[in-house]
Amino acid sequence: MKYAFYPGCTVQAEQFGYEASVREVLPRIGVELVDMEGTSCCGFPAFSSVYPSAWYYLSARNMAIAERIGLDLFPLCNGCYMSFAETKHHLEVNPRTRDSINEDLKKEGLTYTGNVRIVHILEILHDIIGVDTIGANVIRPIKGLKFATHPGCHAIRGGELNHTDDPENPQELEDLMRALGADVMDYPEKTDCCGSSLAIASGRTTLLIAGEKLQSVKKFGFDGLVTVCPFCFKVFDNRQRAIQGAMGDRSLEVPVFYYTQLLGLAMGLGPEKLGLDLNLSPIDPVLERILEE
Amino acid sequence: MSDIRDQQEEFIAILLQRAVSETAEVCDQCGKCSSSCPVSKYIEGFNPRQLIAKVSLGKLEELLRSELLWTCTSCLKCKERCPEQISPYDVILVLRTLAYRAGYEHPSGYDDFIKAVVEKGLSSEPQQVRARKGGRRDRESLGLPPVEKPKDMEAFHENLKKLS
Repeated sequence: MKYAFYPGCTVQAEQFGYEASVREVLPRIGVELVDMEGTSCCGFPAFSSVYPSAWYYLSARNMAIAERIGLDLFPLCNGCYMSFAETKHHLEVNPRTRDSINEDLKKEGLTYTGNVRIVHILEILHDIIGVDTIGANVIRPIKGLKFATHPGCHAIRGGELNHTDDPENPQELEDLMRALGADVMDYPEKTDCCGSSLAIASGRTTLLIAGEKLQSVKKFGFDGLVTVCPFCFKVFDNRQRAIQGAMGDRSLEVPVFYYTQLLGLAMGLGPEKLGLDLNLSPIDPVLERILEE
Repeated sequence: MSDIRDQQEEFIAILLQRAVSETAEVCDQCGKCSSSCPVSKYIEGFNPRQLIAKVSLGKLEELLRSELLWTCTSCLKCKERCPEQISPYDVILVLRTLAYRAGYEHPSGYDDFIKAVVEKGLSSEPQQVRARKGGRRDRESLGLPPVEKPKDMEAFHENLKKLS
């Protein structure tokens, strides 16, 4: 399995724990990541909101780079994933727009045909590699811990995307946690938005939406929260202290992990290889329990 | 308000009614969108059901002028759950495009994002990030490769400037 790997602006600018754990873990379970040359922003969310033609151009040019190296495209961000999938769909049903974008791409030596497939990390792990293979690679099971599974909106909703999971009751991330040996319990708010996209218009509302979610994660008795979306992680983990401030509750503490960090730990890798020192939420007690196994 | 602005608004209203009329006419006003919306609960006045009703009635001035237009989180629940396959989310994007181009107020973050991409190809440059137990880390210290940018920046600028 070989993919054109596109971390996306947010991951490559600041979510190093995600990129490091993905680069460390995926090749060990048979997924080769090929770095792309000359990539740019995908255009989501600003261009997709106000300059749709520029958005299609930005997304198409990255898809064209994947086509040039002859590989399907693996964006490591729910926002980029949706951006590519929606653009691909739009250019399929609007060939005139595709032709006009190809005129622009020609100036950069690129051509977009639409033959590229866009794959999400949940599809790679759950459907292509499979939970059995993942389970077979576990040497340090994550026993006795319950994680709220939060795939993120754009991993589960949007008609033009390749989702295989149920948008109203997604199971794939739970299956993947079960494969690591974790106790799985339904997280009733797993389809609810983290509020991240509101940060550009109303930062305080983002903190309140995310804060209410963290409150119920605690109330339901989870030991932590696991996600595959860099924007959700950024709010729940990186902004957790700000959330505590907005909610007026300093005890609102929830350990937050990327799935690939937990997978790496379960495969016996050390925390330093998985960028776990960059999780800002209080993960140490959970980390110690995992490492004790 | 100037006459030109009035004419712009009328023009936008006609365009948008055309763009979404089929959509808006079949809306049953059932309210599944608003009851699913994470923002409606927190920001008073943000209401996808009412938004569709206003669009179908051509009452656009208030929609385009309102800061509420920019507070959708793009969670797609309204799009997913609508029994008539209407997408308030996509209607909001059309409204944002029109409001932005007609010069209505919008969060400055949009201009910053667009400026960064036009200038550098990326919405954000690699940073030094904080570690949980103190200190800062960069990409290099984690063994991550340098980030990519468009090879032919001149052609990239030219294309993006033309389209935005």
